[in-house]
Amino acid sequence: MKGVKGFIALLILFSILFIPAEPVSAEDGSALQRVQDQGVLVVGTSADFPPFEFYAVVDGERQVVGMDMMIAQKIADDLGVELQIQDIGFDSLLPALEARNVDVVIAGMTPTAERRRNVDFSDIYFRTFQNIMIRAEDEDIYDSIESLRGLTVGVQSGSLQEELAEQIPDAEIMSLTDLNDLLLALKTNRIEAIVMQGPNAEAHAGHDEDLHTFVGGFEMDDDDQGSAIAFRKGEDSLVDAVNESLAEIKEQNLIEEYLAKAGEYMAQTELDEDGEEIEAGFIASYWEYFLDGTLITLLISASAVFFGLILGSLLALMRLSKVFLVKQLATAYVEFVRGTPLLIQVMFIYFASGMFFNLPALTAGIIAVSLNSGAYIAEIIRSGINSVNKGQDEAARSLGMSKNDSMRYIVFPQALKNIWPALGNEFITIIKESSIVSVIGVGELIFQTRVVRSISFQGILPLFITMLIYFALTFSLTKLLNFYEGRMNHD
Amino acid sequence: MIKVNHLKKSFGKNEVLKDINEEFSQGEVVVVIGPSGSGKSTFLRCLNLLEEPSDGEIVFEGTTLTGLNEKDLNQLRQKMGMVFQQFNLFPHKTAKQNLTIAPVKSKGVDKHQADQTAVKLLRQVGLGDKEDAYPASLSGGQQQRVAIARALAMDPDVMLFDEPTSALDPEMVGEVLKVMKDLAQSGMTMVVVTHEMGFAREVADRVLFMDDGYIVESGTPDMIFSNPQNERTQDFLSKVL
Repeated sequence: MKGVKGFIALLILFSILFIPAEPVSAEDGSALQRVQDQGVLVVGTSADFPPFEFYAVVDGERQVVGMDMMIAQKIADDLGVELQIQDIGFDSLLPALEARNVDVVIAGMTPTAERRRNVDFSDIYFRTFQNIMIRAEDEDIYDSIESLRGLTVGVQSGSLQEELAEQIPDAEIMSLTDLNDLLLALKTNRIEAIVMQGPNAEAHAGHDEDLHTFVGGFEMDDDDQGSAIAFRKGEDSLVDAVNESLAEIKEQNLIEEYLAKAGEYMAQTELDEDGEEIEAGFIASYWEYFLDGTLITLLISASAVFFGLILGSLLALMRLSKVFLVKQLATAYVEFVRGTPLLIQVMFIYFASGMFFNLPALTAGIIAVSLNSGAYIAEIIRSGINSVNKGQDEAARSLGMSKNDSMRYIVFPQALKNIWPALGNEFITIIKESSIVSVIGVGELIFQTRVVRSISFQGILPLFITMLIYFALTFSLTKLLNFYEGRMNHD
Repeated sequence: MIKVNHLKKSFGKNEVLKDINEEFSQGEVVVVIGPSGSGKSTFLRCLNLLEEPSDGEIVFEGTTLTGLNEKDLNQLRQKMGMVFQQFNLFPHKTAKQNLTIAPVKSKGVDKHQADQTAVKLLRQVGLGDKEDAYPASLSGGQQQRVAIARALAMDPDVMLFDEPTSALDPEMVGEVLKVMKDLAQSGMTMVVVTHEMGFAREVADRVLFMDDGYIVESGTPDMIFSNPQNERTQDFLSKVL
């Protein structure tokens, strides 16, 4: 929670620095006009929340489906534009909205007073209730808020439930980003209960006989009892248009219909789970998710290694330059990038770029990881160049070779050999750390694992498979690097 | 061929070369001797500007090297071969590749022709069977002979030797000196910094004695070794001979 607040503060600071002249709340119908001009409504959501939003196979293709997505489709249709869905972690939804990465957020979000300070909300489109989720075996022990006194209770970070959990006397609260992690924590006895949104809790309990849920009976403001769509502050024309669609949905009682349809999608995923051969069934059902994730992870890693090597070589040469300014520039870059977390860099590049133009999350992720690895590779290359005996350069220069030729043909190849193990280490780190881009919704391996966990209602098996895939990737890379190391060795 | 006017070189506050005036002519073999720290190596390294002189000028074949732009300097360096005490062979290249890399990459010599020259030169230094060997598998004496061949592959007008036998085991000194002697007899202009007094006496046309940043005495080997005029030369020779 603290991190989210800090990040929002950073974004606000950023917006003050960079767009001071833009009248944030001037409303002249421009927001609605903008969306219609674009011809696309970009909707941000967090697709781990059945029956509101989750993944299912529709016409042989994996899509984000659910009640919210049907509402989104209806709104897009009413506006006469295409619908584009961006799946982002729940924590990052409002920052993405404010940074203009998405137009609206539809994610079963409750319009709390705190959220209203930063964004505007539509009318409430779904009245809901809040549940407590427990293990089925504890059904007789825990039956009320009072019965959880002093125990450890899990909530999704940045959610309404996080605030509601404070009504449980003396409870120790554990906040996690991912609902599936919370469910796993519950099943493995790390926590005793989870405060969850009602329909979502019922969807999970209905699919898992180890879970049991009941209505929590929390005290709530009127506002807190429903879900609404979030907008950037001051985009009243868009809010009005969306409210019209919501009113129609209410009038025609479409919500019932949507929920029923979402239930069908959930049942469809259930069919894949064959009680007897659960493991074979699991791989057969979800291998595409893992394959997609692995391919994206490889794409990000390979790009980051490629661009990181170019950038790193450039920075290393700059740091070895005799020109003071050039040297200081490279040093400052390396120090800054090494001194800040990759997580923040990824989010910063994605959200900050969203203020100016729409950079796809995958591109933003590749840029961030490349910029980051460039700094580390620069240091490795610099140490490698320094490790080559000065006599090598002198010998080359005495033969009349230029400074560049000497670096390229004599010094650099030897440096490369010296730093090969360190470079290999960095490449392996890149493969593993590229998983961080899942926070901005890039469908790499960790992200897909999260998706599989939410649709399969399986906590541990997807984690294990993902672990094996990462190991297979890094181990093959190690073998490949060893092969080339052997070829370079002439001693 | 090389003219040195009022050459001075300091490292920080330490003045290593104080005021050197000297001239080397075409075909001349000059051996530079003197005690450690007298500035012999620095003097040699100033001739092809591996060390930037602090003051004075170096004129090579009519062109002033000091203050020359990078590109022209590289061109002129191609005509000044250098052999180092520590060989400095390129460890990631075979013997033959050590000889061909600079001609091909920096002089624009045709690869095939460079290969032929390399094989010929390796044979000339007695290593015709080692063309595909990497430096790490060669003895010190063999490495230094490859290094001499590497410098010759650029077809230089002058060869500079910086204590070429000081890092060698005693039994390998002879084979390197032999190659150098053959080279001298072929008419190559050579400036050799060495402690091998036998070589100086036998091969040199002229011997320079350096001490404390100056050239103290210069003359034929006979004059220097048999009848040194300067007190410091006498003192040095009495210790090494």
